Amino acid sequence: MFLSRSEYDRGVNTFSPEGRLFQVEYALEAIKLGSTAIGIQCADGVVLAVEKRVSSPLIEPSSIEKIVEIDTHIGATMSGLTADARTLIQHARVEAQNHRFNYEEPMPVESIAQAVCDLALRFGESGYGEDDDDADNGGGEGGGTNKDDTPIMSRPFGVALLLAGCDEHGPALYTTDPSGTYTRWLATAIGAGGESAQATLEERYRRSLSLTEAEVLALEVLRQVMEEKLNAMNIEMACVLPDGKHGRFQIYSTERLKACIERMSATDSPR
Amino acid sequence: MATRNGSSGFNFDLVLRNERLVERLQVDAPKSEASVLAKLPRKTGTTIAGMLFEGGVVLGADTRATEGNVVADKNCSKIHYIASNIYCCGAGTAADTEATTQLIASQMELHRQATGQALVPVVAAMTRLKQYLFRYQGYISAALVLGGVDELHGPSLYTVYPHGSVDQLPYVSMGSGSLAAMAVFEARWHERLSEDEAKRLVYEAITAGIENDLGSGSNVDLCVIKNGGKSVDYVRGYAKENPRPYRKPTNYTFPKGTTPVLMEEIRKYIEVKRVVSDL
Amino acid sequence: MRPQEDQTRFTESSWMSSNLGPSAQQALISHQRSWSPYVDNGGTVLALAGRDYAVVAADTRFSVGFSVPSRNLTKIVRLTDQAVLASAGMGADRQYLHKILRSRLEVYKYQHQKQMSLSAIAQLLSNTLYSRRFFPIYAFNVLGGIDDNTGEGFVFGYDAIGSFEKVKVVCSGSGQTLVQPVLDQQLAGRQKYDLPDDQRMASLSLDEAIELTRDVFNSAAERDILTGDAVEIYAVTGSGVRYERHSLRQD
Repeated sequence: MFLSRSEYDRGVNTFSPEGRLFQVEYALEAIKLGSTAIGIQCADGVVLAVEKRVSSPLIEPSSIEKIVEIDTHIGATMSGLTADARTLIQHARVEAQNHRFNYEEPMPVESIAQAVCDLALRFGESGYGEDDDDADNGGGEGGGTNKDDTPIMSRPFGVALLLAGCDEHGPALYTTDPSGTYTRWLATAIGAGGESAQATLEERYRRSLSLTEAEVLALEVLRQVMEEKLNAMNIEMACVLPDGKHGRFQIYSTERLKACIERMSATDSPR
Repeated sequence: MATRNGSSGFNFDLVLRNERLVERLQVDAPKSEASVLAKLPRKTGTTIAGMLFEGGVVLGADTRATEGNVVADKNCSKIHYIASNIYCCGAGTAADTEATTQLIASQMELHRQATGQALVPVVAAMTRLKQYLFRYQGYISAALVLGGVDELHGPSLYTVYPHGSVDQLPYVSMGSGSLAAMAVFEARWHERLSEDEAKRLVYEAITAGIENDLGSGSNVDLCVIKNGGKSVDYVRGYAKENPRPYRKPTNYTFPKGTTPVLMEEIRKYIEVKRVVSDL
Repeated sequence: MRPQEDQTRFTESSWMSSNLGPSAQQALISHQRSWSPYVDNGGTVLALAGRDYAVVAADTRFSVGFSVPSRNLTKIVRLTDQAVLASAGMGADRQYLHKILRSRLEVYKYQHQKQMSLSAIAQLLSNTLYSRRFFPIYAFNVLGGIDDNTGEGFVFGYDAIGSFEKVKVVCSGSGQTLVQPVLDQQLAGRQKYDLPDDQRMASLSLDEAIELTRDVFNSAAERDILTGDAVEIYAVTGSGVRYERHSLRQD
């Protein structure tokens, strides 16, 4: 068994006899080494909370950016090789802008997840990225997202994303992973503390959570799985709130983070 | 210069002359204007036709007049008077067909008075028309169907082309709808047609033009000349088969104030007095 | 093969061109190599919007010069149950454009699990036309439908290369110059100078709008030789699309 594994785990284009692609599975393992990220969909929005590993007091915490905006109504956080996430995020941003260019409307959250997963699967040894024959780009000169000649990834992307957005159907939370799969969740966690956090979320999640309650829940779960003591410097938070027909994504300022942490501490004390 | 011919045997000097003329015009005038100046007059759409029968001739015409793609007159008259026994259908530029037929009509009346005949021969009108048109080298855009009855030749029917050539045939058609009309004639014509059959066929030929040629439309006019040229039956609106199919039941009413009154000023009559001194 | 003969011909042709000015030479060349890929197949299209409906209409005559190859060729495509497009201009380009849009709408439906909205179609059409900025699709479009949020009727008018405007009433094609002023007066109230802008717009019921549409098409057919045979009318409302067809002058 071990022998056969070592033979089939080199190439990304060869299935093992048991029908597995080891490189993809290893990429999934890389996520389990990453910092924990939590997403909770509630009645009036979606909350994201993520741990930042500030491994030295000499690191400037604000230079670690774990939550990013994709479009005004969609944001993402990540776990795994964050450098790989830049490529996926850039792709998602361009797709979102193309959608606005082509249809003068915000891109649905699920379509963003699908677009990320389309790119997540473009790895292999064939060299350069194929021309994007995606019908969405047929109409406009402003399209042409993937007509660049940057090489495609030679290996799977070692990162998972949590996508939080709000479209005409309301708030939505998605994960994407290196296998190119996307899943919609009410609440989920990825990264090193993902499994334990998930168990707690399953225990404590309610559909009727308010945004404030969701913030507190996210922080409590994050505190539970973090090795360091949680503070406004080693976490990031963001939310998407409905704004008219669509949502508005916002990353929390330090002041807002502090306020959230204080609220969490306040709910602690009675216990 | 005019003596140098190409290997084809044709001489293209005039092509070059025309290009030079356009070139000169382009120097003097903007390009679009130059190309308009260099263009030949536009031919307008029409269906006209004529047919001989035992003892007479039938002329027919549609009644649409166009300016480009716009209908200028929905019920114009295209069968013109030449003499009491001769009528002439005109296609082409309306001004040319009207001026030409009026001119020849005057000449025919003078000719009748000068020769003391009761009826002028149709050939006389045909000859004057073709000479006149030939003199103007096609620049008078008149394509004509000339029909009449005289003592000399009986019923006569001719077509006169803008450059002055003439055809004499038992059934003819002209104008942009001439192919549609001729298709009917070629399918249905036979010798020794009766008057009613000839009228029917001309009516159907003009209708074919009205329906299938966008330059022709509205009604059918017919003119039957018979009895040795002594009787003429000119029917305006022999067929009226294209009425407007729909009109909005409610009127277009313009409420008072649709056109605003910007200023109102009332003046009294000014009294004018003439003062004569008592000197 | 026979150099002597070729030599002669060469001399003659160079004699001809050497006697021409540059502009005339150009004229000869452009005359010989002229290429005109466009045909105007005539016809009139119209779209007008009311509070909760849009009406899209077109005649069915298809002409080439003074000939009428077809009296019953539609200029309209029903894109969704909220949007209907009518295009005047060249028949082949119209069919091509309608085909592209139908397929783009289908792909969008699969990709985004929803029907494309009127405003998204409006933007897509503009991009599709502009993508051919230097070899335009010879079609003059009017798009009508209802907004999927508000249910309000809107129409969009286009030029051949994608410039567009969201309006309440628009007409294009061979009868445009005849029809548009009537629509402006009847709907946009362009003559009611003394009224403020927001009160000028007449509010017609759907039935009144269809009556007006039939009437202006009958009027256009009276005076425009390229418009006629029949008028097709699509009425878009919140409860779907209704179709009707009426005869026009045939001559």
